[in-house]
Amino acid sequence: MRTLCKFAGAALALLLAGGAAADPVNIRPFDAGSMSAIRAQYAGKPFVLAFWSTTCEPCRKEMTLWRGLKLRYPQMPIVLVSADGPADQAAVTAFLMRYNPGPVQHWMFADEFSERVRYSVDKSWRGEMPRTYFFDAAHDAAAHSGLLDRRMVEQWFRNNTGRH
Amino acid sequence: MIDAKRRAIALGGGLAALAAGLPAAFAQHADHGMPAKGTDAARPDLGATAAFDAQGVLWAAHKDGGYITVSRSADAGRSWSKPARVNNSLEATDMGADSRPKIALGAGGEIYVTWTRPLGKPFTGAIRFARSLDGGRSFSAPVTVHADRQEITHRFDAMAVNNQGQLFVAWIDKRDGVAAARAKGPEYRGAAVYYAVSDDKGASFRGDYKLAEHSCECCRIALHPQDDGSVLAMWRHVFAPNIRDHALARMTPDGRPGEVRRVTFDDWRVDVCPHHGPSLDRDADGRLHAVWFTQALKNSGVCYGRLRDGGVDLQRRVGGATAEHADLAISGNRVAVAWKEFDGERSRLRAMISDDAGEHWRERELAATPGASDHPRVLARAGAFHVFWNTRREPLLTVALA
Repeated sequence: MRTLCKFAGAALALLLAGGAAADPVNIRPFDAGSMSAIRAQYAGKPFVLAFWSTTCEPCRKEMTLWRGLKLRYPQMPIVLVSADGPADQAAVTAFLMRYNPGPVQHWMFADEFSERVRYSVDKSWRGEMPRTYFFDAAHDAAAHSGLLDRRMVEQWFRNNTGRH
Repeated sequence: MIDAKRRAIALGGGLAALAAGLPAAFAQHADHGMPAKGTDAARPDLGATAAFDAQGVLWAAHKDGGYITVSRSADAGRSWSKPARVNNSLEATDMGADSRPKIALGAGGEIYVTWTRPLGKPFTGAIRFARSLDGGRSFSAPVTVHADRQEITHRFDAMAVNNQGQLFVAWIDKRDGVAAARAKGPEYRGAAVYYAVSDDKGASFRGDYKLAEHSCECCRIALHPQDDGSVLAMWRHVFAPNIRDHALARMTPDGRPGEVRRVTFDDWRVDVCPHHGPSLDRDADGRLHAVWFTQALKNSGVCYGRLRDGGVDLQRRVGGATAEHADLAISGNRVAVAWKEFDGERSRLRAMISDDAGEHWRERELAATPGASDHPRVLARAGAFHVFWNTRREPLLTVALA
């Protein structure tokens, strides 16, 4: 764990040195209307939408993956959504501080009726995490449950940013 | 929308400091100051469990005003007493995902309650226990069940009383994973299942006994007491390399390690937190029946099946595309399964019943709610089934299942 923290510090210092322009200070409230708002925000553009929670061990590992990808592909929007409930804001904040996913966009579930929120994203998602959606420019989304394979994700980033 | 908070949630000074390049120092500081989950007294967490005592009184463990409480119903859930506090000082409780307070009853009217108290670091916790020997009028001061006091994972408590009155508490434990990391060995697969036993109605516990290595980390454990005084445990396991199917093992009163058997064979290969544990019961002929969740390609969704050596009989899908969090109970050879299913507007409480040990089924819809709800629990009592479902709209809702 100590090693991880040191690495987190190093990666963050790099990001800051590179002048990454992201705002890590706000977590936006994600409800049943947020999915369409996010898609509208990135109309015609690819983006990654990743759901995680403070009770999910593999999600912890994925934070490092997002940080590295954001460093290499700063133009690709990465949207992280905590599926913890509205009462868990402090725990979500502490988790992000500890495992630092880099300058990505943050949301968290703002409706305790989590079934309704999940349904607005994907009717077939039963709440397992991490749950990640890769939206291409036409917004055809590929869904993935579980820890991501780094090479596959990097391939997707290369294909969808045109950057190799 | 009940409580959608439209404003942006502003973070405290922590992330600002992080942005200034001080993450390691801050993360360490946060270990001690991390606010725990489940402390919203105004909108208590809905996680709840219930059990009938020998006299047919229904008891529920649930949150109220930030406290763990117990409520009593003499009419199978139509009316409930005022909740009695189990812990007299406010204590954070892990209520997210597949975690909720548990209640079990002794033959002499003892009321046992366990819950998980989150500690400072993410994923850590302690299994807490309190009892009442005076019919719920007062509860003992909460104690930590396990001897291991490291600030690591001890979570997802499960509790059962055997026919000798011995109390078994099992939980998910990461001490072996922590030790492997300290020894700089290969990464430990998943967590482990440990348990403790009380011979004196919860006055003291002995353990910690290791039941199995390599459990999954975040699903509830199902327990079922056997006639020989042992207690069967079923949990989501991580079979090598990362197959998240289920395992079964016997907890014995003396803590002897038992054989770990694989009992579901969906072959779900993934590193994921399903937050979706199984349920287990036994019929009059000694056959084990279970419900569980998988997203394996061949069997996606909630499943029912009868467990046997090396395979599953009568495996079938439970409910529709949004079915989740099924529970199961058996009376004789009658099997009842309940689950919830979201239809785009409401969560519907659905059930299926078999009168012939799982061969044939009929489905019923029991209730629906337009707001948040907990996982349903099926209770068998005197040949009848009841489904307990704590919802925001109708707290401690209990429906008879004919």
